Amino acid sequence: MNSAQIEIQLIASLVAIACAIPGTFLVLRKMAMISDAISHSILPGLVVGFFITQDLNSPLLILLAALTGVITVILVERIQKTGLVKEDTAIGLVFPALFSIGVILIAKNANDVHLDVDAVLLGELAFAPFDRLIISGVDVGPKSLWVIGIILSVTITLLIAFFKELKISTFDAGLAASLGFSPALIHYGLMTVASITTVGSFDAVGAILVVALMIAPAACAYLLTTDLKKMLGLAIIFGVFSAISGYWLAHWLDASIAGSITTMLGLLFLFIYLFAPNKGLIAVIYREKQQRIEVSLLTFLLHLKNHSEERERHVNHLQEHINWQKVRAKTVLELALKNNMILIDNKIVSLTQKGDEFTSKAIDYIITNEDAQIEDMKDDFFLFRG
Amino acid sequence: MNRIKIMKEPSEKKEIPASAGRIAVQVDDLTVAYNYKPVLWDIDLEIPEGVLMAIVGPNGAGKSTLIKSILGILKPIAGSVSIYGKPYDQQRKLVAYVPQKGSVDWDFPTTALDVVMMGTYGSLGWIKRPGQKEKKAALEALEKVGMLPFKSRQISQLSGGQQQRIFLARALVQDASIYFMDEPFQGVDATTEIAIINILKELRKSGKTVIVVHHDLQTVPEYFDWVTFLNVKKIATGPVKDIFNDDNLTKTYGINYKVSIQE
Repeated sequence: MNSAQIEIQLIASLVAIACAIPGTFLVLRKMAMISDAISHSILPGLVVGFFITQDLNSPLLILLAALTGVITVILVERIQKTGLVKEDTAIGLVFPALFSIGVILIAKNANDVHLDVDAVLLGELAFAPFDRLIISGVDVGPKSLWVIGIILSVTITLLIAFFKELKISTFDAGLAASLGFSPALIHYGLMTVASITTVGSFDAVGAILVVALMIAPAACAYLLTTDLKKMLGLAIIFGVFSAISGYWLAHWLDASIAGSITTMLGLLFLFIYLFAPNKGLIAVIYREKQQRIEVSLLTFLLHLKNHSEERERHVNHLQEHINWQKVRAKTVLELALKNNMILIDNKIVSLTQKGDEFTSKAIDYIITNEDAQIEDMKDDFFLFRG
Repeated sequence: MNRIKIMKEPSEKKEIPASAGRIAVQVDDLTVAYNYKPVLWDIDLEIPEGVLMAIVGPNGAGKSTLIKSILGILKPIAGSVSIYGKPYDQQRKLVAYVPQKGSVDWDFPTTALDVVMMGTYGSLGWIKRPGQKEKKAALEALEKVGMLPFKSRQISQLSGGQQQRIFLARALVQDASIYFMDEPFQGVDATTEIAIINILKELRKSGKTVIVVHHDLQTVPEYFDWVTFLNVKKIATGPVKDIFNDDNLTKTYGINYKVSIQE
C-alpha cells in the first residue's frame, strides 16, 4: 500500500464515522430523507462559497454551504406547517429548487471555476491526496483529511457532551421540553452538524454517497441492537468497514470509489436484513413457524384437557377432531412428547401433570394477558415473547 | 340519553380539605391556537395543592393541550400560567409529566431502566450525566411500580400496561410536587389500572398534587376528588362530590347525561 492509498482509506473512514453519528439520530427521528435534501440543497451555498474563496476546503465555504443546509430544513418545516402538503412533499419541493439554482450557477460560470456537477454528485476521493495542506512549507497531509478530521472532532465532542439531551429529545420531545431541554435547539443543532458533515464529506464522496453513509450504517445497526450506545458503535464500525472494503473493491474493479463504497453498504444491509438474529428476515420466518406449531400444540393440549372420553383422545382420531393435516399432527405430537406434556398409552393420549399445568397457565395468560406468571415460559416458547 | 353507572365510594374515605391549602397551579386567561384556530379559549383555572384531579371532556376538547401549555411545551397566544406563584420556567423541578403513551416510539433502542433514568435528567441539567445516585432512584421507582424484574428489557418487548408503568416510574423518579398525566389508563389492563390509581392516591396522601387527563367517566368519582370539565372553554372545576353532575356533563358533552349513583 502506498501513502496515497492509506490516505484515501483514512479519509473515507473518517467521513464514514462523521456521517454515522448524526445519521444514527436521523434514522431514529425518522428523518432519513432530510439528509438527502441537505446533501443536494447545499450546492448553491457551495458554489457561492467557491466563487468567493476559490477553495473547496475553505472554512467560509463550509459554513456558507452548511447554512444552506439548515435553511433547507427550515423551509421544509415551514411548508409542512402550512398543513397543505405532507413532509415528504415539502422535501421534494425544496431541495430540487435549491439544487437547480446551484446547477445553473455552475453552468453560467463553468469557464471560470473548477467545479463540475459530476464531482459534486459522486465526489473525487481518488484525487483527494493531491490537494495537500502546506503549513510554512511543510506538507502535513491532504486538505480534506484535515477538514473531515476537524469536523469529526467537533461532532464527537458534541455527541459526548449532549448525549443525554440528544437521547431524551429524540425519544420523547414532550418530556424533554417539560424538563427544560429545548428540543428545537437540539433539533437545529443536529441539523447544523448534519449539514456541516455533509459539506465536509462532499468533496471526498459526493452528494449521493453522503446520504448512503449517513443512513445505511445506522439502519444496519438498528436491526442488530436495542441499545443506543451500541447502535452508534455498530453504525461507526459498519461505516468504516464499508469505506475500506469499498475502496479495495474499487481498486479491484478499477471503478469509482464512491460507487464501490455505496455498493458495499447496500450488500452489508442486505446481509444483515437477512441474517440479523431477532429482526432479520430468516429469524422472523423461523419464529412465525415456531409460533404456528406452538399454537397448534396449545390447541391440542386444550382439546385433551376438555375431553375425558377415550374416543376423543385416540391418536388416529386426533386428526379429524382437530382438523389437522397429518404432518402437523405428527410434529405437534412429538413436541408434546418431548416436553413430557402427554403420555401415549395404547394409542390413547392423556395429559401429564406438567402438560395440564402448562395448559392452564397458558390459557390464563391468553385470557388475562397478565405477564408475570409466564416469565419462565418465555425462554422455551416463542408464543409468549410479546 | 347516556347513562353512566357509578359505584358509590366506601364511606371510610376521608375528604382532603383541599381548598384550605395553597394554590398549586394557577391558569389565567389562557388561549391556545393551532394555525390561528383556538383550541383552548380563555381558560381560568385554580388547582389547589393536594388534590387528585381529573380533566374530562370530549375528544378535541383541548385536554392534552391544556397540560402541554401549562408545561411550556406549547406556546399560548394569550394568558399566563404559574406554579406556586411563579412562572413554570422557574419551577420545573416541582413538576413531573407523563405524556400519552402513543406520543413516543417504543421501538427506540433503549431499556426500561434507561427510560426511567430520563426522569432524573431534569434535576441534572445540561451536560451532566446520570450516575449511581440517579440509577438507584430509578431502580426504586421501578420497584414501586412492580417493574423491577423487567429493568433490562427493551421497551418494545413490554406490554402496553408495562409501558405505562415505566412512564409512571419515570415521573416518580422526578420526585416532584405536581404530577401531570396524559391518559395514563389508556390501553392498560385492569390490574395495571388499579396499580396506577393506587400509586396516584398514595401521591395525594403524601401531599402531592396530581392532574390526570381522563376518559372513563364511570371511574371519576371512584378515583378522583377533584374534577375539571373542559370543552375548549372551561365548563366547571371543583370537588367531584359538588360538581360531578348531569348538568355539567351535559354542558361538556352536549348530550343528556344521567348520573345514577348505585348504593
